[in-house]
Amino acid sequence: MSDQMLRAPAEVKYADELDYLESVDDAPKPFSWRLSPRMVRTFILGSERSDGLDREIPQKWFGDRTFVERAIVTLASDRGLLLIGDPGTGKSWLAELLAAAICRNSTLVVQGTAGTTEDHIKYSWNVSMVIAKGQSRESLIPSPIMTAMEQGVIGRFEELTRASSDVQDALISILSEKYISIPELDTDNTVFAKPGFSIIATANSRDRGVNDLSSALKRRFNFVRIPVVTSKKAEAEIVRFRTAELLKRHRIDLEVAPSLLEVLLQSFADLRAAAASARSDDEKLESALSTAEQIGVLEDAILHSQFFGERELRPETLASSLVGSLARRAPEDLAILNKFWHGVIEPRSKKEAGPWQGFLEGGREALAKLS
Amino acid sequence: MTKPATDDDMTNRTATHGPAADRVPGLDAAAGPFGRLREQLLGAAERFGAGPLSDILAGIVEDVDRALREPLEIFPVCHHSPSSATAMVRRLREKRPKVIYLELCEDLRPLLDELRNCTLPVALQSFASEIDGFPESWAPLSVIAPITEASAEYQAISYALTTSGVELVLVDRSTDHVFQWEPRDADKDDSDSGDSSGSADDEAALHGDAVGVEIGDLRPRFAELEEHLLHHGKVRHWSEWWDQYVEQPLVDADYDTYRQVMVLIGSLFRRLRPEGSARTRVDEDRERYMWTRIREHLASSGADPADCLYVCGAFHAASRVAEFGLHGATGTFEISPRTATKWQYGLIPSSHSAIEAQFGLAPGSVSIAAATWAKALQRSGIRPFRLTASAPRKARVKPTKPTVTVTDRLSQFLTTAPTPHGIDEQELLGWCVDIVRLARKNGYAASTADAIAVYETSVLLAGIRGRRRPTPYDFQDAAVTCIEKDTVPGRRDIARLCEILLGGDRVGKVGYDALPPLARDVLDRLRPLCLDLKKRTKQRALLDLDAEPHLRPCSDLLWILRRLLPHGVAEPIMGSRRLGERAIQESWDLAIGRNMRAIVELGYEGVTVEQVLEQRLRKAVHAPDATAAGALAAVEDSLLYLDSRRFTNELGARAVELLSAERTVDDAPEVLRRARMLLAYYQTTEPELPEWLKAFVTAGYAHYCTLLPTAFTDDATGARQVAAMLGFLLGMENLALSLGCDHTQLELAVQQSHPEDPAKVALLWAAQTQLGLLPLDELRRRCDDLLDNPLVVPSFPLYLSGFVQALEPVPSLAPLVVEILSKAFARLPDTVLLPWLPKLIGTLKDHAAEMVPVLVREAGRTFPATLRALDDWTPPWSAAPAASAPSARATDAGPAGDLLAEHPATCDAVAALLGLPPDWPTPSSPASKANPLLAEHPATAEAVAALLT
Repeated sequence: MSDQMLRAPAEVKYADELDYLESVDDAPKPFSWRLSPRMVRTFILGSERSDGLDREIPQKWFGDRTFVERAIVTLASDRGLLLIGDPGTGKSWLAELLAAAICRNSTLVVQGTAGTTEDHIKYSWNVSMVIAKGQSRESLIPSPIMTAMEQGVIGRFEELTRASSDVQDALISILSEKYISIPELDTDNTVFAKPGFSIIATANSRDRGVNDLSSALKRRFNFVRIPVVTSKKAEAEIVRFRTAELLKRHRIDLEVAPSLLEVLLQSFADLRAAAASARSDDEKLESALSTAEQIGVLEDAILHSQFFGERELRPETLASSLVGSLARRAPEDLAILNKFWHGVIEPRSKKEAGPWQGFLEGGREALAKLS
Repeated sequence: MTKPATDDDMTNRTATHGPAADRVPGLDAAAGPFGRLREQLLGAAERFGAGPLSDILAGIVEDVDRALREPLEIFPVCHHSPSSATAMVRRLREKRPKVIYLELCEDLRPLLDELRNCTLPVALQSFASEIDGFPESWAPLSVIAPITEASAEYQAISYALTTSGVELVLVDRSTDHVFQWEPRDADKDDSDSGDSSGSADDEAALHGDAVGVEIGDLRPRFAELEEHLLHHGKVRHWSEWWDQYVEQPLVDADYDTYRQVMVLIGSLFRRLRPEGSARTRVDEDRERYMWTRIREHLASSGADPADCLYVCGAFHAASRVAEFGLHGATGTFEISPRTATKWQYGLIPSSHSAIEAQFGLAPGSVSIAAATWAKALQRSGIRPFRLTASAPRKARVKPTKPTVTVTDRLSQFLTTAPTPHGIDEQELLGWCVDIVRLARKNGYAASTADAIAVYETSVLLAGIRGRRRPTPYDFQDAAVTCIEKDTVPGRRDIARLCEILLGGDRVGKVGYDALPPLARDVLDRLRPLCLDLKKRTKQRALLDLDAEPHLRPCSDLLWILRRLLPHGVAEPIMGSRRLGERAIQESWDLAIGRNMRAIVELGYEGVTVEQVLEQRLRKAVHAPDATAAGALAAVEDSLLYLDSRRFTNELGARAVELLSAERTVDDAPEVLRRARMLLAYYQTTEPELPEWLKAFVTAGYAHYCTLLPTAFTDDATGARQVAAMLGFLLGMENLALSLGCDHTQLELAVQQSHPEDPAKVALLWAAQTQLGLLPLDELRRRCDDLLDNPLVVPSFPLYLSGFVQALEPVPSLAPLVVEILSKAFARLPDTVLLPWLPKLIGTLKDHAAEMVPVLVREAGRTFPATLRALDDWTPPWSAAPAASAPSARATDAGPAGDLLAEHPATCDAVAALLGLPPDWPTPSSPASKANPLLAEHPATAEAVAALLT
């Protein structure tokens, strides 16, 4: 089934693993959970020999174990879970994995935007049916959250702080009373949440101050802050994992040399250090330089090599992809990259040679084209 | 130890470590109490594949066997471990040893008696500021050994000091050896001083940058092992792992189990750590040191080893050095003598967070250990030993002679799952309520619902981590999950609040009697302020010195403390102390209790603060890099803080020496400023200048005259320095001449000066004008010429800079400076003027006090005050010159002028020779203008005449 989808949701993609874990899981499960909390953790963080499983479960989310544990127990409690962090730190991925492991359904998602209305959270009406048959449960279109309540599963709310405050507050009653009233109907006008219902929301910490959460809503969520990955080892692991996934999805048979991965990670680490010491916004790149951005750069370079190159990832292509992805503002970003290329990459290429030389050339060329 | 460990030594020493050496002589592999366990472990090793594993597994059992069979009973401990402390109490009560050997620096022994006057935690400190035998860059040296109540060592110390007939012997290397054994080429800061620098917290910084030593450091020095244990223990920090897997299971264990398990862990960590590291070498040398000391003591005192107890870290209990044991090798290790460094000893306050920061423990772990200790005491009902100020030494109770039989307790311990010892329900509930209350106090919008959520989450977290009951760390995670939102409203976040809740950060106090004399003296002398200075909060002291003159000595002391101690200990809010000033009211913020360490360390330098200040000032003026300006500053300090004329004169005399010996004039501005200030002070307060100051002025006059020509031409000397020299020479000339200096010396010096730098040229002109060598009109004409010359215009601002600097030595030049500045602004092109303006502003800003008032006053006099007046205003220098007055020199009247006027022949002849017309101006008699005035108003003159006749 996953072959027919461009991007299969986690429960489809890892259906085998989930089936297996469910079959061996004899620990008590909260509500209608498909897996026990410990097995959810194993599914997300991978298995160890001491777990005694006769099949290896690979790690899918890379980060501190405590965050995952705190997230799981929050979902087993009465409160919603709010994953908060910088863009590209893997909040949505963690949310998807959690929903997939707990209820085998990670697709009940509301995307928070400036245009999100209360209807998107509660329900709306099929106008034709209302005209034809009048208002009834049949002509009601439940929102993903309402569906999650009815089924007793996890509903997801992406980018909660992008939605306006009054829309956010529609969640308050859902999270505390656990039902939605449909005043338009005379009978059967309350949808009660079944056991197992909870909400995983994500919020971007860079959006703070745009639509701040009300304290009433804050109280109903447990916050788990996902920090930016700073360990080079962990970051390499994430980039490798996600890239392998992308290559598989695009059916590309291409090897990413470890030295090139090192070049990419080091460049991002240097750019982050430069951004940290910048005194004004003009002196740092607009990009958040997140791990997701690195994956984007690598994906772009791989696709370019596959379809326009020699089916081999070359440092020049990687450099050009990096410049292309990060140069968003002219002239500010270009000036920063230019300075970076001359001040950091050039000495490094002289010192370490190897792929750095090609990387230097490729970057120079890309910068020249953009300037 | 007489020689540093070499590779050869290492070979010899490691030769004793091989598997063969691990076997206890005469002990068959299958025999002994641990035979079965050994076999089991070897079997397990074989299943994993033979190799080093079987050596390690067999080795650790043998280490346990060996340590337990040692005739001198070894008590293995781990630092800040409640289970060690409870086992120690039980053992001491049972065995009642006569001698206790303790792994602690031997030279700290005298301090232990003072512990009874302290509230723990405190740290024993050894401090040396004057070092001999170590690299200079290491100074000052400081070693601290913190002591907490929940520790085995404190129990042992308390027992020994409260029971009569018990001797406490510290056997570890002295603090001097701690540094002797440090690698010389390494940076001192990289040693095991922990990561205290990273902590910004006040309490965490209590130990300063001292090197920490502690008893029973037990941690795998093998990073992969630690990582593995943490990962599989599902814990984040080593302290958490230790608490869960060793501390809690052992806290109620019997003594034999405790001892065997601790030695086993010590042995395991020892065998798994990398061989041959510098740290291993030091540890082994320490073991040799300790055993050597123990044997020496036993030999000299004749004590029966059966009546003794050796308390050391579990790591050292599993030692494999040849010198281990009473029957170990002798004569192979020699203790090197201490260096000539003078060590001072004292007690300083410590805190749980300072200990955690120093030794890299998890935040809150020492507090949790203290809470566990309290709980263990309550549960088991054992009575701990405690030092109190007044407790007499109790008679020694007759010991029950234990029979030395070793039975295997390890097998059972290792094969039984630990009994869960998590927090009980009531305790957890209490914490949940308390954390919400604390969070609310700290600005969080937390409610009872949060308390319920924290409780539920703690239980769930414990479940997911495979624990039957939540641990304090689970509770902390749960509280963070449920209460922490996107921002921290106050100063402390939830994690910190949890630490406070779980026992809080306890800060120790050093009792009055345990303080060094200086600290006691300070507290005594500040008593009239009626403040509790031992409190850790800031205290505000209000001193009305007019109404309460008896507080004046307190004020004097506070000013000295402010001078000697780091910022923040004693800070004046109102009132100041400057030369010639006395405040009538002062108010101070005092943080004496919080900074007791600084005061204790001050106590290592002297008996009173005055003595310390005197020593420091004397040291400063005799340092190889001392300067005359520094010596004058010391004189000022001496006048301000020490009422000692003799000492001030001594410092002043040193200032004269330093000035005469100086070859540069870099400090001239500072010397001038300070000398002027001191002169003003003495002239207003004393009938006569002190001898040293007279000498300083005359020496300075001669010194600066000598250096002036060089300073004018030397590129390295700036205009500011030259201006200051001229300021000294011209400003103090009258005094210098009255003291016997010669004016010609200055004139010659000025004439010998030939600067090229425009700023210095301007300064020279100013000096010449002041000395009468260059008329003012001539100077004005020269400036105008410069402005007229297009080739010089670009450098004109540099001349201007020189004139601005000249305001200080020649203040009478102010009108001319205003004039030149006005002309420059009027005539200089923008391309020249604008780049120079920032520099002018910078110069004026830097020297605002000296230059700006003069300049502004003069400008106010020159320019019109109103806009309307500006329309009709003509600059005085542009106004039509009055009838050209004959030059001052030419019109000087006097006997010489009169003589020449009466006999003009000679001058006429000279004029004819020079080709000039013999046209002599008539000397104007000063009386010429006065005569008509007197004729008109004769009354005054007649009155004077009447008086005189």
